[in-house]
Amino acid sequence: MAFYDGLIETLGLSNWCGEADAGGGGPVTMAELLARANGGGAGAPEPDVPLLETPFPSLDTLHRSCDAIPRTRDMTEAVEQGFLNIKDGLKFVLDPLTTPLGWLLDASLDLFQATPWFIMIPLLMLLTWVTARSVGVLVLVTLSFLFMAFIDHYNEAIQTLSIIFVCTIFSVVLGVPIGIAMSKSNTMQRIAIPILDMLQTLPTFVYLIPLIFLFSVTESKLYGIAIILYAIVPVIRLTDLGIRLVDKDVIEAADAFGMSNWQKLTGVQVPLALPNIMAGINQTIMMSLAMVVIASLVSAPGLGRLVLRGINNLELGVGLVAGFCIVLLAVLLDRATKAALGRINSSEQ
Amino acid sequence: MTEQNNIKVSIRNLYKIFGTDPQAALEHVRGGLGKPELLEQHGHVLGLQDINVDIRAGEITVIMGLSGSGKSTLIRHLNRLIEPTAGEILVNGEDVLAYDATKLDALRQNTMSMVFQKFALFPHRTVLENAGMARRVRGENAKAADKEGQKWLDRVGLSGYGGHYPNQLSGGMQQRVGIARALASDSEIMLMDEAFSALDPLIRTDMQDLLLELQRELHKTIIFITHDLDEALKLADHLVILKDGAVVQQGEPQEILLHPNDPYIMDFIADINRARVLRVRSVMEVTTDPGTNIAGDVDANSNLERVIALSEGDTNLNYRVMEDGAQVGLLHMRDLVRALVPVEASDPARRLAS
Repeated sequence: MAFYDGLIETLGLSNWCGEADAGGGGPVTMAELLARANGGGAGAPEPDVPLLETPFPSLDTLHRSCDAIPRTRDMTEAVEQGFLNIKDGLKFVLDPLTTPLGWLLDASLDLFQATPWFIMIPLLMLLTWVTARSVGVLVLVTLSFLFMAFIDHYNEAIQTLSIIFVCTIFSVVLGVPIGIAMSKSNTMQRIAIPILDMLQTLPTFVYLIPLIFLFSVTESKLYGIAIILYAIVPVIRLTDLGIRLVDKDVIEAADAFGMSNWQKLTGVQVPLALPNIMAGINQTIMMSLAMVVIASLVSAPGLGRLVLRGINNLELGVGLVAGFCIVLLAVLLDRATKAALGRINSSEQ
Repeated sequence: MTEQNNIKVSIRNLYKIFGTDPQAALEHVRGGLGKPELLEQHGHVLGLQDINVDIRAGEITVIMGLSGSGKSTLIRHLNRLIEPTAGEILVNGEDVLAYDATKLDALRQNTMSMVFQKFALFPHRTVLENAGMARRVRGENAKAADKEGQKWLDRVGLSGYGGHYPNQLSGGMQQRVGIARALASDSEIMLMDEAFSALDPLIRTDMQDLLLELQRELHKTIIFITHDLDEALKLADHLVILKDGAVVQQGEPQEILLHPNDPYIMDFIADINRARVLRVRSVMEVTTDPGTNIAGDVDANSNLERVIALSEGDTNLNYRVMEDGAQVGLLHMRDLVRALVPVEASDPARRLAS
């Protein structure tokens, strides 16, 4: 006897409900077990439920009155089955598409790790100088890497950096054209914005769930995809915004002098949108750093793995020091890209 | 400009209607519906109605009107930055509206160049690169483009500024770059959309003088848009006055000044300094008769202000009017003074005030 029995009867659905397997397939819930253990006989009348405790007519509650209505657990199982059914097809399409990402991630990891520290650190310094042209940033980068090497976190830091490096390249290569397409077509923008919103608000762990089913956890492209999906959003958004913000008068002048669409895009729109695109790349780097830590759950190497170890084994010190190194990495990446951005901005004044 | 009277650009029965269904609205307009009624009854904005203008080669044609009169819309039809609802635009006898994208690009690259009110220079390119822009678009190499750009930068008085960025220059200098950019394309037709309206009055006068000086040398076909009557009268060989998207009057500026055919224009010209704008040839008696009591010679193209200064205000004098060394007429000071009285304004409020 359940709360909604009366309702089912009034609606005349008893027959339909009865047709279903009365035993109620599937595993038994804890609540049912408890009820059985307490010796509640099948026919024993339950006390009347007070009005204030009226249960919400959820799937589980309704199931108690009518076996034909599925339980919530059946629903989640159906979702899982549905996903598993399309999995093979999806994998067939996605696997070849994403394989280059896996190769690049592995190759870059190997290369970064194979390069001895006494070459790698000067290389990073040189790169910083070329992009940022700022003594302060150069000193920050040098000291940070020397510090991390000194406390034996150099290897993990360089792994994290390698993953960010590859994922950022992919994000830019994919994101900038998508952003340009969005800026050219309002329909495209209307379609893309909800997707971008979803990618940005979806909890980061949720990305990992379907990916784990699609790819093996040992494959590096698994975390690569997760990071790119999460980090690509700002570069798309800001490319779109940047191109849409280009002065209408300048575009009109370009038209009036007979520029082709390609000339206009490469000669006017992208250069003038560059400060915004660079700001997007900065955000993309920051977000891939955030994701690379979470991706350690699915075997991404680097500093994130130390943090995870800290959590799993309650090794407080390991987790905290690795966390500090991540902050250090974030600060120096941010400063270096911001300095590069500042250089672009000032050259246009 | 007597040497070339051939027509370069011809605008025929041009209509532009802004809205969701311009073709349907066009029928209403052809049926005699006016701008306010069209907006009220059908929600469409009548941008231009039945424009017919012939633009002669080598002349400055000024299209004047207040804001909202459709003048900027009109000039953008010539290079099809805006597509018309109906009508024809003939450039060198060819219908521009029939052009496909390739021919249109070629027209914009080679035949027409444009100068903008807000300069519209490329902020990420240097002044020199901006000046040679039209050449680069055409695919000429950087060296040729820079050479041509530098030549015209020198010509507009910006010799040392090639390496600067546009934002480092003042408004007047930026517009000089804009003019150099248009000239460097070596196009026959120059469209100037309120080119000097954003500049200070003194700089504006400088730029007008620069344009006239260049024009004496280059004889381009210039279509100049302005809302400033003084500027229009100073520059125009042919003046077109627009109101609410329609041509109210067009012709020689002196002619419009002396014989305005619309109360709108009378109001418009009521406040200008006629002595400075009117020229001797417009008020003289056309004759080769030597005349009597001649006080001296004046040039047919000098303005009345100069003659008044010459006569020291004596209204009894007569002057012999000369052009290219020969007498073309006689100027009686009484006629001159009479011409200074404006045709009465139509607006009763204005009449009371004056």
